[in-house]
Amino acid sequence: MYEKYFDRIFNYILRQTDDEELAGDLCSQTFVNALNNINRYEFRGFPFSAWLYKIAGNEVNKHYRKHKGNKIFSIEELKVRELIEQATDDWDEEMITRLLRYMNELPTEMIQVLELRFFEDKDFKEIAFILDMTESGAKMRTYRALDKLRTHFNLKVKYDG
Amino acid sequence: MGKHEIRLRRQRMSARGSDRYRNYNAVLKQHGNEKRIKQITRIFTFFLLIALIVIIFLAITRWEKKTN
Repeated sequence: MYEKYFDRIFNYILRQTDDEELAGDLCSQTFVNALNNINRYEFRGFPFSAWLYKIAGNEVNKHYRKHKGNKIFSIEELKVRELIEQATDDWDEEMITRLLRYMNELPTEMIQVLELRFFEDKDFKEIAFILDMTESGAKMRTYRALDKLRTHFNLKVKYDG
Repeated sequence: MGKHEIRLRRQRMSARGSDRYRNYNAVLKQHGNEKRIKQITRIFTFFLLIALIVIIFLAITRWEKKTN
């Protein structure tokens, strides 16, 4: 379990903290919690990794609640470029800067859904389970976020990825 | 609505990069410690509960003796 999921969980946490040391600590705590509660795990139609993502998300939230800081989303430049290239042919460096500035204005809950959808390639059912919300809620949040991006940047982002 | 900050990072950390933070033995050790603490707490609560029941029982029998 540890060997199989460590990288994915570590990168998921790193993306929400931008601090390798902290991501390492929170990742260890995630696996400790998973081991402590392994008898409570039951299959509900999601892959086992979704349960780990949920625990990891809770650990990250706990950290931010304790330290009262702004949540950080550290996203990969290559992946951002890849997504923009898919969405439009007409893009430049300035557009990326404007896009990032604009994403700072979006609600955190929207960014969380977008991160899981486009950076972790999760389906809506899994996103709903990880973020403790309904599937239609996850779809609605993604749709609204993408709609805003479409109107502001003329991007043709596909709703289903 | 929470506040957040978006940062751009070069690329996803590779498996080799995250190897420094991979420590299964430490995770197992911490799991063992937390399991032990949980067990001790459970045993302590159990004995506390027994002690409480005995105290209540003694108090009732004393009160009954007094009233009789």
